Amino acid sequence: MIGPSRVAELDMPAAGIETGAARPAQSYWNESWERLRANRIGIAAGLLIVLFALIAIMAPLFSFALTHYQPQTINLDETFIRPGLRHLLGTDELGRDTLTRLIWGARVSLGVAFLTVAMSLSVGTTVGMVAGYYGGWTDDVLMRLVDTVLAIPAIFLFILMSILFRPNAFTLAAIVASVGWGSVARLVRGEVLSVKQRDFILATRSIGARDARLMVRHLLPNVLPVLIVAASLGVGQIILIEAALDFLGLGIQPPTPSWGNMLTNAQSYFFRSGFLVAFPGLTIFVTVLASNIFGNAVRDAFDPRLKS
Amino acid sequence: MTQPLLEVQDLHTVFSTKDGLVKAVDGVSFELNPGETLGIVGESGCGKSVTALSIMRLQRPGRIVGGKVMFKGQDMTRISEYEMREIRGREIAMIFQDPMTSLNPVYRVGWQVAEPTRLHHGWDAKRALASAVNMLGRVGIPSAAARARDYPHQFSGGMRQRVMIAMGLTTTPQVLIADEPTTALDVTIQAQILDLLRHVNREFGTATILITHNLGVVAGMCQRLMVMYAGKIVEAGPTADVFANPKHPYTWSLLRSIPRLDAERHEPLKPIEGLPPNLVDLPNGCAFHPRCVFRVERCQRDVPSLLQVGDTQRAACWVTQAGTELKGA
Repeated sequence: MIGPSRVAELDMPAAGIETGAARPAQSYWNESWERLRANRIGIAAGLLIVLFALIAIMAPLFSFALTHYQPQTINLDETFIRPGLRHLLGTDELGRDTLTRLIWGARVSLGVAFLTVAMSLSVGTTVGMVAGYYGGWTDDVLMRLVDTVLAIPAIFLFILMSILFRPNAFTLAAIVASVGWGSVARLVRGEVLSVKQRDFILATRSIGARDARLMVRHLLPNVLPVLIVAASLGVGQIILIEAALDFLGLGIQPPTPSWGNMLTNAQSYFFRSGFLVAFPGLTIFVTVLASNIFGNAVRDAFDPRLKS
Repeated sequence: MTQPLLEVQDLHTVFSTKDGLVKAVDGVSFELNPGETLGIVGESGCGKSVTALSIMRLQRPGRIVGGKVMFKGQDMTRISEYEMREIRGREIAMIFQDPMTSLNPVYRVGWQVAEPTRLHHGWDAKRALASAVNMLGRVGIPSAAARARDYPHQFSGGMRQRVMIAMGLTTTPQVLIADEPTTALDVTIQAQILDLLRHVNREFGTATILITHNLGVVAGMCQRLMVMYAGKIVEAGPTADVFANPKHPYTWSLLRSIPRLDAERHEPLKPIEGLPPNLVDLPNGCAFHPRCVFRVERCQRDVPSLLQVGDTQRAACWVTQAGTELKGA
């Protein structure tokens, strides 16, 4: 065995032609980020979502400084007002300001969407990773569980749950995520099955890494691209599901405004004021469209399977 | 007589498949002495790699169903998974066949080469990285400090194999298992990597098990050689002796199937007829007998065991054990 002092004299055969040229280290993440940034429409859609999220977070500020109304303030003298300077997007049958209610509704709709995605992603990733990594009976048990969850007719579950619990943003997210994690688990398991075949997993085991380290430090970063794609495409879907549940009266209950229950309310007054339908509907439409466009842009940039 | 560093005794590893039990390693025994380079040769699917993986207990989904792997006075088939992890990467390091997939694409090369010392010596990131850079330089990576910040896809195959070797050496292991380290590389790069492995063996004193299907590689690298066929060792001995005077018909046929610079001109190469046997359904007797040109009646009935044939070699063959010389058209 030689000591470090002899390193210099060591005549290791040097590598041939190639040398470390001075090009910037391009990681997978850098590359993907560059690709995403090049997609202008995708970035615009992403920024729109961020803008809506910021507005939702700062809803109290907006209703104080911009619209001067509270979402639940009733003013029976000013019902069914058309959009104008006093009420930018008009008022409803109880004289509540539509813009204010949309802004507060964004808290619910976007909050539920992000919370749901976060919950289904963390549960789904854990289950899928454990199932895919350990395989065998662990995989069988977990995946049959996933099959079972995915076989539950979601709409009946939602009805049942909203009867048992009075839905608020958190319980609603939990209910939607309780079926949503299944497809994430499947996705992650499939990806883990393919990644774990690669030699670097065996090589990492051969240097004495524990299972936990393999999963968290080595498998997870390789699965992350599909997770990012699933998350960004998921947001739009969940917004639609949440709006549908609210619309059916299974979600957030009035008077708390949400985009979905504003629509429910509006259908009774459709002929009195079309604006009551148009604005929440348009908001949902634009938000979901933006999420989908952004989600697709993220997929184009990040999904390793789309890379040539 | 020196104490062997690693001693494999009657190792059996099986895989359960839907067609039946595959005996991938079927009673393999050998020892590895300190500082030596031992070659394991054989066709694809003869159990070379599984033997290596079984030593490291990485043979999943296969199972070790018998035998011992003695290392430093303990049987590695019986110690706990925790103790096994302490040996992996610290005392015994492994290099794999395909350097293109042996590195994690999401981490910088330096980080990965630093990982074994962080795991085993508990070094902090800075110290481990410094030693990784040093090791990358020693295995012949130019401007190692800069290259350590690159990602695997920025390296060529040969450079990645150097990285893998560096990663194996950071903890100065006593045994290096190289599983077909040059198979995926082109010929000039192969020669460079073999040169490097020779240097590592000489300078670090690391005992090396070199697994290959390339007899030329063995000839230049290994003092001793084992030939495997269908999960068994069929011949073992000093490389020079085995090459000069093979004692098993399989080795004999292998040597006749490769081109030689010193052979008579226009002498055609002689391929081995037939295919390696199906491991689920091995022929009776010697597994090689259906392809063997020397077979006698007994070969179809009884399985020969590995016995001394000649002064330095051992072979599992009824024909040579009876004293017959392998010669032929």
